[in-house]
Amino acid sequence: MKNALGREIPERIGSRETIPYSGAFASLRNDRKAARHQKGAPRDENKLLPSIEAAIEATGLSDGMTISFHHSFRDGDRVINQVLDVCARKGLKDLRLLPTALFPVHAGIVDHIKSGVVSRIEGSMNGPIGAFVSQGGKLSDPAILRSHGGRWRAVEAGDVEIDVVFIAAPQADAYGNATGIKGKTPCGPIAFTAVDAQYAKHTVVVTSDLAPYPVYPMEIQQGWVDYVVVVDEIGDPANIASGTLRLTTSPTRLLIAQMTTDAVVHSGYFVDGFSFQGGAGGISLAATKYLGDEMEKAGIVGSFGMGGGTKMLVDLLHRGLIRAILDGQAFDLDAVRSLSEDEAHVMIDPGMYANFDSRGCATYKLDAAFLGATEVDLDFNVNVNTHSDGLLLHGIGGHQDVAAGAAMTMITIPTLRGRIPVIMDSVTTVTTPGEVVDVIVTERGIAVNPKREDLKDRFVAAGLPVRTLAEIKHEVDAMVQPVSKPVFGEEIVAAIEWRDGTTIDVVRKVEGFE
Amino acid sequence: MAMGGVAGSDAKGDCLVSVESADALQIDIRTKAEALVAPGIQMVVERTLEQLGSPKLTVSVQDFGSLDYVVSARTETAVRKALSLAAVDPNTVVEREATAVDRPRRSRLYAPGNNPRLLAGIDVHGADCVLLDLEDSVPLSEKTSAQILVKHLLAAIAFPQDVWVRINEQDAGGEADVREVLRGRPHGLCLPKAESADDVIRLSKFLDEVEAAYGIEPGFTKIMPIIETARGVLRCEDIATADPRIVMVAFGAEDYTRDVGAIRSRPSLLFARSMIVAAATVAGIQASDTVFADLSDTEGLMKETALARELGFDGKGAINPRQLVPIHEAFSPTENELAYAAQVVEAAEAAERAGSGAVALDGKMIDKPVLERAKRLLKYGAQLAQGGM
Repeated sequence: MKNALGREIPERIGSRETIPYSGAFASLRNDRKAARHQKGAPRDENKLLPSIEAAIEATGLSDGMTISFHHSFRDGDRVINQVLDVCARKGLKDLRLLPTALFPVHAGIVDHIKSGVVSRIEGSMNGPIGAFVSQGGKLSDPAILRSHGGRWRAVEAGDVEIDVVFIAAPQADAYGNATGIKGKTPCGPIAFTAVDAQYAKHTVVVTSDLAPYPVYPMEIQQGWVDYVVVVDEIGDPANIASGTLRLTTSPTRLLIAQMTTDAVVHSGYFVDGFSFQGGAGGISLAATKYLGDEMEKAGIVGSFGMGGGTKMLVDLLHRGLIRAILDGQAFDLDAVRSLSEDEAHVMIDPGMYANFDSRGCATYKLDAAFLGATEVDLDFNVNVNTHSDGLLLHGIGGHQDVAAGAAMTMITIPTLRGRIPVIMDSVTTVTTPGEVVDVIVTERGIAVNPKREDLKDRFVAAGLPVRTLAEIKHEVDAMVQPVSKPVFGEEIVAAIEWRDGTTIDVVRKVEGFE
Repeated sequence: MAMGGVAGSDAKGDCLVSVESADALQIDIRTKAEALVAPGIQMVVERTLEQLGSPKLTVSVQDFGSLDYVVSARTETAVRKALSLAAVDPNTVVEREATAVDRPRRSRLYAPGNNPRLLAGIDVHGADCVLLDLEDSVPLSEKTSAQILVKHLLAAIAFPQDVWVRINEQDAGGEADVREVLRGRPHGLCLPKAESADDVIRLSKFLDEVEAAYGIEPGFTKIMPIIETARGVLRCEDIATADPRIVMVAFGAEDYTRDVGAIRSRPSLLFARSMIVAAATVAGIQASDTVFADLSDTEGLMKETALARELGFDGKGAINPRQLVPIHEAFSPTENELAYAAQVVEAAEAAERAGSGAVALDGKMIDKPVLERAKRLLKYGAQLAQGGM
């Protein structure tokens, strides 16, 4: 069957019936959520266990079960690999992984898939694991990719049941209260799996800094926690700010950041109380910096900036240019430090940030957002999951949630990646539908979604270089010979869920790739 | 005897092409996402070889994200090295409209002529003039590669602004530069270290020849002498008035300070700057100030640009696109200036209608030079507005 975007979706994916995507806000619910797993405890419960292995035994983790993790240490995480290595040693098989995101440090999961320890993944797919899965025949069911908000919703709705959640906690007490902003190796907010802790059959807090009761702020609460394990190392904060988080010196990218800033300034949203979110890419970081300078010049104070928290955002807060930062995860150590020092740097969980099945998301309060993409198409659809070679290389992150939420969603992209054009007739994979994308900023011009004539008029009046996507595409295509399409097999290796749980697209096996 | 040639590099945006003589044509391409992009690269290599007379060669290309024009340039360079071909037939002169003598040239943005990464997108930053450099930024061993790369870039991109090439001094490879890049029909050439009228006239005569040979209309190619020595400064009136191809003279402070043994400062450059502005005025052409080399010092750039405008310059060099905004701001007429100019012209027209000889505005007499300047300013403002700059 075809969904509302004309993408071919099978009736079933793995063991689940699919609901085709029917529109960004087409499936608002008003009913009862799945019930949580409930479990009582005697008043003198001792939750401390000596090791991860002991916790795995205590929870009764066995073949075929589902385990979950947060990604607050990003590329510095040490918990996922430790837990999986123990699982492998204990001979566990067919586990289903439900991480909130994976990073290059987790490339060892490929070996666990090969050896059968892991057979299913729901969550993010990054480079090596995604490329491996794209070969087909690796997982027993297709992977399910969800946005941050979509994952929270799926857990609450009972779409995915969790047996054990392992929560890396920079500081915890023996009764299970835990925080990410204190301890020997603080990493920022750790509430990404707070929903897992409330819905899983078992919750294990893994900490490297056991502190006297009560540890606060209580991002993870004692009432959700079965066991507390102390280990030497849960993560290396130095690797939080790796990967995408680099200030760019590329003239093209800086130009795009400048054009993005100019567009925001002339959008009509740039008034007192203005709010925005940028991603972690070089263009976004530069745009955040430029935007701060424009706010200072114009004497505008923003209501809030939304994280991933970065040094750029913290600087705006310290300069008095925004009243608050709403932050679900730290992207660098400046943000981690600010979380414990700045009262206006507020931690929020993904439920508040972006849960579709809720009575309001923080992303809905955004005026402007600037986000990246691997591809866009003439219908303004955005791909962040696959590359033009068809390989599944990235998770969704908050892309869908922010795009659907912000009043003005801007995709900021250079028109070429090497010799591969980024503007396509039709994206390889739809992550975010054109319906929720307002502006695409490239170094060769600013394209405005036809449904936003109001924005187009403002940009034109301000003398900004407004062009159609087709015009920009034509100019770029003239610089490189056409790129061949990858050959896809029949097998579906992953499904992309829209944030409401419907299926917006599927990713198929890439033939001839090893 | 087997012959070989290598061109390009493994830098981002470039490709490394090596060729060897063989019994039959064979092309080998290595790149990321090979299945997707190798067929396109192969097409470009084949097309380029055809233009070079389809020599029998083994060609191997290692691609690092190069655009088509880079692939053709590197292929041509490698083949010409292997076969010791001095040049190819000038059968591919591109189309381009001549530049207007008096169009705004607030900025001339330099880009090193043999660096595909820094050349990529050089057309999109809104510089009034893009200046592709074959001189100081290109090592001696890369001069031919750079000529060929710039030629292919000129052919590939429809620049929305002036596109110029800074050639080497005429006796130091400048003529080879001209022969190569004129096939890409740049709007003009920058002549470094111009020291006399003869330097310019000699280049102009050489351009007459090459334009005729390539079927380019005579006089299409403009000249921008760069004054960057003591001798050049003292003779800059002769230089600026030497040839009708000249539309702008530029100042090069780095070489000038070295030449006279000065330390770069406002006072040490003042004499040269004022000489150049005066010479340009006498010649009825534009003057462009030297580049500001410290990319991180925006405030310094703004100060120096404001000074350049004060002194009467029409524009300034830029070493990075980030410098364009402050430069453009400084050299664009303000709204007040434009409004006043409009009032001046209006008052003059009203006086003419009334048959009155004297023109006055707000009780002040408007003489002819003031009126002329107001008209020029309005035209300039209109040109800027039209260019979307």
